[in-house]
Amino acid sequence: MKASDEELVALVVAARDTVAFGELVRRHQGLVRSMLARMCGNRALAEDLAQEAFIRAFRKIGSFTGAGSFKSWLCRIAYNEFLMSARKRKATEKAMDRFKQDVDDIEAPRDMGSVVDLDRALATLKEDERAAVVLCYASGLSHSEAAEMLNMPLGTVKSHVNRGREKLKAWFEKSEALVS
Amino acid sequence: MTIEDAFDARLKAAFADAQDDYEQDTESADAFMKRVQNRIARPDRRRILILGAAGSTGSAIAGTQLETFFSGVDIPADGILASVAGFATPETMAAGVLAIMISGFAFILPKRI
Repeated sequence: MKASDEELVALVVAARDTVAFGELVRRHQGLVRSMLARMCGNRALAEDLAQEAFIRAFRKIGSFTGAGSFKSWLCRIAYNEFLMSARKRKATEKAMDRFKQDVDDIEAPRDMGSVVDLDRALATLKEDERAAVVLCYASGLSHSEAAEMLNMPLGTVKSHVNRGREKLKAWFEKSEALVS
Repeated sequence: MTIEDAFDARLKAAFADAQDDYEQDTESADAFMKRVQNRIARPDRRRILILGAAGSTGSAIAGTQLETFFSGVDIPADGILASVAGFATPETMAAGVLAIMISGFAFILPKRI
């Protein structure tokens, strides 16, 4: 029988079992890597952040109390990694914008599929809106979990999600109108 | 949670597709898992260097300054306390403070870095 996340966490806490932690990484890597890729809009950076997030999770695993799910605990760590990285990147924001523009021009032709479209649409949202939308839609967190993670009032998160969703809807409609 | 309509379903599907790229690419998932496990197994050199440098700096400062600092301290005491104060030479006090500092580095820094 497959061990639950909580059982694997108990093994890691008790014996620093790297095999058990490897299984947790395997189970949740898709969620964390995808969530960070959507938030950063830069796959390479998202990979580095995801790796750091799992390493931090391993070091801090004793602080997982089991009050919520392991998934949401991990998402919180990953989001904190993203925030720290975003703060560092603010200093070189202009250079990064230029780089991102170059990457968009080179790597994102229209026929690359829905993931690129999704990333392009997400890039039109404000940072808070993007974070709220990604946490609620990609990570499957409830509004209250996202509010706790983003350290924002529940009403603000709901507004961000709704506004973000409307912007995405408008972007997709406009994009489809252009294609047809 | 969110307003459930066709666009909602489409948005959820788009996010699920994006996640599937990572879930289904088992080679990439395995490589990612191995990289994390290797990083966990290998002690972080930068962390060790920072800890070592911080500890050495603290010890160097303490070693050069504390003895002079404590030699100026005069404890006014009588009786048993006076004999205890007699043992508390500047060297002993400097060594005590040094021990506390090193314990502090050893206890706090690994959690902070």
